[in-house]
This record gives sequence, structure tokens and C-alpha cells, in this order.
Amino acid sequence: MAAGGGAGGSNKTYSFKVVLLGEGCVGKTSLVLRYCENKFNDKHITTLQASFLTKKLNITGKRVNLAIWDTAGQERFHALGPIYYRDSNGAILVYDITDEDSFQKVKNWVKELRKMLGNDICLCIVGNKIDLEKERHVSVEESEGYAESVGAKHYHTSAKLNKGIEELFLDLCKRMMDTAQAEERAKGNGASQSTSSRRGVQIVDDEPQAATAAGGCCSSG
Amino acid sequence: MAADGGMKPLQNAMKLAKLAIQLDAGNRHKEAYCEYLRSINYISHALLEDAESIEEGEMVAEEVEKMLKLAEQCLERAKSFIGREESLSAISTTTTLAEPSYHSTTATSVAVCPGNVVSPQDPDTESKLNSSPGHRRALSDGGGGLSPFLPPEVFQRLQTIEPLGTRKELTPIEEASRLNQKLKANYEARLARLPPAQARTQKTSLTLSFERQMMENLIIAKARQDALQRKMEERRLRLQEEANRRFAASGSITAEEPEQRVLYTNVLEYEQDHDWPKLWKAKLKKYPDDVTLASGLVSRLLSCPDHPVMKLLKRHQYRVYNRLYPIVSKCLPASPALSIKPSHSTQSLSISGSRRRASESGVGHSLSSNASLNMTCSNEHNSSTVDSGCDGHHTPNRENSFEDLEQFLSQLDWQPCHGDHNMTFEPSHQVDQETLIKDLEMRALKDHLKAIVKDIHNAIDQLLSLCLLSFECLNTANSKDLCLASIEEAFFTPVWGPLLALFRKVHRQRELSFESSMTLYRDASPDAVGVSPELYPQDPAVLRGSYPYESAVQELRLLSRDCCPQKKLDCIVRTLRVICACAEDYGSLQEEDSKTASIGADDLLPILSYVTLRCELPQLVSECAALEEFIHEGYLIGEEGYCLTSMQSALQYVESLHTRGFQLHNSKLT
Repeated sequence: MAAGGGAGGSNKTYSFKVVLLGEGCVGKTSLVLRYCENKFNDKHITTLQASFLTKKLNITGKRVNLAIWDTAGQERFHALGPIYYRDSNGAILVYDITDEDSFQKVKNWVKELRKMLGNDICLCIVGNKIDLEKERHVSVEESEGYAESVGAKHYHTSAKLNKGIEELFLDLCKRMMDTAQAEERAKGNGASQSTSSRRGVQIVDDEPQAATAAGGCCSSG
Repeated sequence: MAADGGMKPLQNAMKLAKLAIQLDAGNRHKEAYCEYLRSINYISHALLEDAESIEEGEMVAEEVEKMLKLAEQCLERAKSFIGREESLSAISTTTTLAEPSYHSTTATSVAVCPGNVVSPQDPDTESKLNSSPGHRRALSDGGGGLSPFLPPEVFQRLQTIEPLGTRKELTPIEEASRLNQKLKANYEARLARLPPAQARTQKTSLTLSFERQMMENLIIAKARQDALQRKMEERRLRLQEEANRRFAASGSITAEEPEQRVLYTNVLEYEQDHDWPKLWKAKLKKYPDDVTLASGLVSRLLSCPDHPVMKLLKRHQYRVYNRLYPIVSKCLPASPALSIKPSHSTQSLSISGSRRRASESGVGHSLSSNASLNMTCSNEHNSSTVDSGCDGHHTPNRENSFEDLEQFLSQLDWQPCHGDHNMTFEPSHQVDQETLIKDLEMRALKDHLKAIVKDIHNAIDQLLSLCLLSFECLNTANSKDLCLASIEEAFFTPVWGPLLALFRKVHRQRELSFESSMTLYRDASPDAVGVSPELYPQDPAVLRGSYPYESAVQELRLLSRDCCPQKKLDCIVRTLRVICACAEDYGSLQEEDSKTASIGADDLLPILSYVTLRCELPQLVSECAALEEFIHEGYLIGEEGYCLTSMQSALQYVESLHTRGFQLHNSKLT
């Protein structure tokens, strides 16, 4: 309803793929579950549990479908990373602020992602477990400085206390929409819509969503 | 499998034989001869497949006996032509001379021999035939070597059989021929009834009047035929213009457009002759939101073998099959009666193929430590050598007494070995040469595969657009998906077997790695591949005799049963769901209040790796590689895409397992 007016007649739905990267114990599963499980959305949990989750959003009148792909953090599966993050629009790289090692792993992934996908992908570096601030081993300056140096955004979250998670995803969505719109403009509007490549925008007909993520974000922030 | 509704081999064989008999009765000797041979070929192929399949034969003894009997009869008939072999072609030409008007039109054998008309095939079996003639079996036993496939000609015959008897409307000339048959019978009867005294005087006049009548009939028929043809021509032009207008309106001009235009003209023509498209269009216009209507229309369309969309589908299918066949059919005994025309490049491929396999089995010996792998390699080696022997030996002994046959066969056993030895190079260069040759072959195979995949994509695109052009009412997001799914299912079902065989050739090394890991880890417990101990019961009693995640393994094993990418993809999704459900169940069994959270990829991938190991289907590697090519873009980002990606990762991990050693998994556990 709100979408119908806000979208200005365009029934375009953005579909974005977001990969979730991070070592085993950094809490990425809890993070994404917290985001998708909140009281408005518990029906969106798929039968694949926390491995693959979807979420529908409505941002400034535009519909967005998020597909969140969890990846295995273990070393022995690293060689298989590229097939997971190909065609991704965004990546969330999670580390544990109490574990220096997990931050080093994030740096490796950033390098690989940039190498494979260039600047098309929106990167978010996330320091999780801020509820354990006392045991922090990765300094705020270092992590934020690093994020800026590689063109990523940095966030602090606590899955346990549900802090910072809504903002993280909302922000990421907005950035992905900007990227997609820029891409559209570059291609020239109109004809490009139908021929849009594998990644990015798809036109899907589905019923307008009443729930707005923006509202949820404000209340929790 | 039963749901697929493929026709029984016996029914197929009978169908082919019937066709042969029809041709035979119609004095089309050469064609009949070939058709008999084809029947025999099909029967032996079907029986062989049945006899070799690991599971108990699907055919009952009675059926086998009938098949053999049928083959015997076909052989008898075929033999009866041999005496006339030289005159095979001559016969058909002389009969043509004798009754020019009958034979000048095609497919008039019905008219010539009304007594022998085979009852028209019921449309029910017709449509069943379209679904799958017997390739599901080729697929289901695909675990071992390559199973032989039907030669393209037989394949096409089974796909598109349009029995001569089913023609509902006869052309005027055909009608006249029928009439003349009756006249002739009358004439003969009357001649026979004539008392001997009058025979001489009356016979002349009877004969004359008979001939005059026949001639008249034919002349009238010819005139009618010409008029009809003119009318059809006019109609065709009119429809062509309509098609042109339609395309002019749409604006864009592409390279494929002329072809599309012709196809669309065919559609218009079809719609003039058949009412159902109009009726369905009207219905859909009335209730545009009724989903069942759209699916009804699509299945109606698929059941009409003479609709241009379906004709195009069969044509593409045949083209793809024809390109696959020379590469994947090496186990098939070469039959001189079949004139397969492999292109130059594929021929060279298939010749060198057997050499490649020979060298591969050598590699297998040196690398692998397990017996079963060696077995499969050497088996394949044998089969390839035998058929290369067949290739070289086109002249079987004339008098087919048993001893001769035995001797002939023993020759076959020995010859190829010499042949192979002659082919080898100097020992010092041998390795280099062979790796070079192997590389070149692999590259050629990959190129071939890529080209075929592209062909298939193009074919399906063209089919979908023609389908939507024919039924604009289906051009909505939902109906379009439905169309595509149905077209794909119809398209892939009969060709998946050979297609997969090509993928397996290309991915042979990967499958071998998978097999090596499989034999190493077959009986390993889940934690050997890194499954966290909380995610499966430690107490064997809980599992009641099975092993962890058995239900997921069972589900995954069903993958090779389906013959269409979308269904296979669904099977993978179900497998992952079952894994998640199992993990949750096992979690709830744990007494400690270590609340097992929903599992993420960290847990899912090790479990999935364990499940694929337990599944013991090396062809999963190739199946998934094929799915990767044919998954819809729209699904790539969703649950299906995620599941396929996870499956690919698990497979890759399993392939690498046998080179890693057991202890590696301990390096990093969650």
C-alpha cells in the first residue's frame, strides 16, 4: 500500500544476494538469525535454518528481497569460497572483537573478494560481541581504519543484545540499491531492464508489503 | 520411475515391427528391410540393457520370450529379402513403374494394401511415447561404465513415430487409390465368377471398363488435388503476410527472425486446421487469473505432436541427440545396416577415445590402491577393445553356423590387443605423447560439451518464444515459468541419458577422485569429515540399526531417477532440508541443555559431505556440473542456487579428501 504510492508506479523489486563470511565462532549464525527472526519476520525462516535466509524489505518505497548466504568458516572449505560469493551484491564479514585471529581472517577475505569481484560488491566489516567489550582484543581504531582503507563500512554489533544489526542490514541494502541504480543508469534505462545480467535487479511481481523495515530500524536503534 | 510412464520395451519393439510390416506389405522393400533391422537392433539393445542391469531385471520372462520371438520373426523377414538383395532397390522402382500413380505420392502404402492396415495407434500411447522411450534405464544403471544408447535413427523414430495408419484425412489421390483397390477386387471377383464359356468374350470388355474407371478416378482425383494445393498455397501466403505484419509490429529485427517468422506461419496454419487453440485462448481470456487453465493449456500443447511447437521440440531434440550419440555410444556394437554419419571431427574423437581409455586404465593401476577401482577401469578397457574390434570387422561370415560364430568371436577377442600394441609409440616418447593426446582429446570433448550446452539453451529459448508467440495469453510471469518448466521437462527427459554420459566423460577425473575418497571414507563416522559430535547421536541404539542422516542419503540417491534439471534441483533442495530436519531431531535428543542453535553453513557443509560420501554415487559430480549449466538464472540467487552451490562445495571437498589424509579434519573444528 505504502509501496504503491512511494514507488511512483514502478513495481520494480530489487533482489540482492549477500554472503556472510567469518570464522567458526564469531557468531555470524546468531547475527543473521537475530536479524531474520525478529518478531515481524519469523515466518521468513526457511527450512534450511540459518544457512540460507531470505528477508523482504521496503526501503523508501522500493521493495527489496534479500537472500543471505551463509558460508562455512572452516579452513578446509576456503578453496570453495568463490562459488559461494560469485554474483553477490554484498558481503558481510564478521569477526569477534575478542579474537584477533578472526580479524586477520576478515582481512584475507577482503583481499579475495576485491580480487574476484572488484568494486561492484558492497563490503561490511562487522565486529561482533560488543557485549564482551572488556575482553576486546581488536581495537576500534585499527578495525575502522582498516575498513576505510579498503572501501568497506565498519559496524559494531552484539547478536546477544540485538544491537546494531538492523542498522547494519538497512545500511547495506541502501548501498546495494545505490550501486544497482548507478549500474542501471550506466547501461541506459529501458531496454536494459529486460536484459539485466545475472546479478542485480530483477523484476518480480509480488504483493506489496506493508511492513517497513525502516520503522523497525528506528525503534530498535 | 513408474510415474514417468515410459513405454515398455516390448510395446516399443512391437511398434517398430508394425511399422516394418506396414512397409513390407506396401512393397517398400528396402525401407521395410531397414525397419526390420532396426526392430532387431532395438530389441537386442533393450534385452541387453535389461540383462546387464544390476537390479533384478525389470522385464518378466514372458516378456523377454516375446521379445526374442519378435526378433526372430523380424530376422526371418529380413532374411527373406536377402535373396532379392540386389534387386531391393530395383523392386521398388519396378513397382513404381507398374503403378505410377500410387507410388508417386508419398505414404500411400495404406491405399495400396487396405487389407493390411495396422490399426491406428491410440493417441494415449502416442503421448506416452513422447515422454521417455527407455532412457531412464540407461540412466539408472549409469553407475558403472557407459551404457549404450539407441542409435539416433531409432531414437528419432521412437520420438516422432507418426504411423502411416493414423492419417485421418486422405488426399484425393489416396482416396482414388482406395477406390481403385475396391474396383480391382470387384473386377477380379467378377472375372472369377464368369462361366468359362463367356470368359473370353466378356473378359476384354470387363477389363476395358475396369481400366477406364480406374483412369477416370485418377484424373478426377488429380484435378481435385491440384485445386486443393492451390488453395493451400493461397492460404499459406495469406498467413505468411499475417505473420509478417505481426513481426513488423514488434519492431526489433534479429538474426533469427526469418526462421521465427516461418515457424509462426506454421502456427497460424495449424490454428486454421485445429480448433483447440482458439477455444483455449478464449477460455484464458475469460479467466486470465486461473492458474489451472494455463497449465491445462500447456499440457494440451505438449500432447499435440503435430503442433509446430512440438515439432520444433522434436527437431531440436533429435539434433542434440545426434550430436551426442557419436561421442557417447562407443559400447554399441557397430551394425553395418545403420548408416550413421558422424562428422569428421567426432569420428576422430571416437577413434582416439578408446586409446585414451586404455591409457587411463594404466594410470588407475599406478595410482589407486583399491581393487574396485581397478576393476571398473579394466572392465571398461575390455569393452572398449571389443567394440574397436567390431569396428574393424565389418564382414561377418556368411553361413552363420554356430562354430563359425564362435570362431568369429574369438577372433574379436584377440585382434584388438594387437591393434593396440601397433598403435603405441616408442617407450621414451609414449608418456609425453599420451598426455598430449589426452589433453587434446579432453579439450575437444570440453568444446563439444560447451557447444551442445549452448545449443540446448538456444533451442529452449526458441521453443519458449514460439510458445509465447502462439499463445500470447501465456505471456505473464507465472505462466511463462510454467511454460518453460514444461518445455524443459519434455525436452530433457529423453536426452538426459546421453547428455549426462558426455558430462561424465568430461568429468571423469573428478569422478575417479570422488570414488577414491568414497572407498577410503565409506565406513567412516561423521566426525571423520568434521561433523560436530553434537550433531549426530553417539549412541548407536538411538539410530536403530541405520546410520546418521540416512534419510538424507536416501533422498539424494533419488537424484538420478529424474531426467529433468528442475526436478533434480528440487531433489537437492529436499536433501538439504532433510539434513536440517535431522540435525534438529538429533539436537533435541541431547540431554544437556546445550541448546543447539539452528545450523549454519559451518555445520551444514560437513554433514552434506558425509551424506554425499554415503550416497556412493560418483556421477553426482557430473549431475551437478550439468545442473549448474541448466539452472535458471532466477533460481541462482534463491534456495535452489544455495543448495546447488553447497552440494558443489561438498563434492569438491570430498574429491580432495583422499589426498589429504585422515588427520587433517582435526586442524580446525568449530
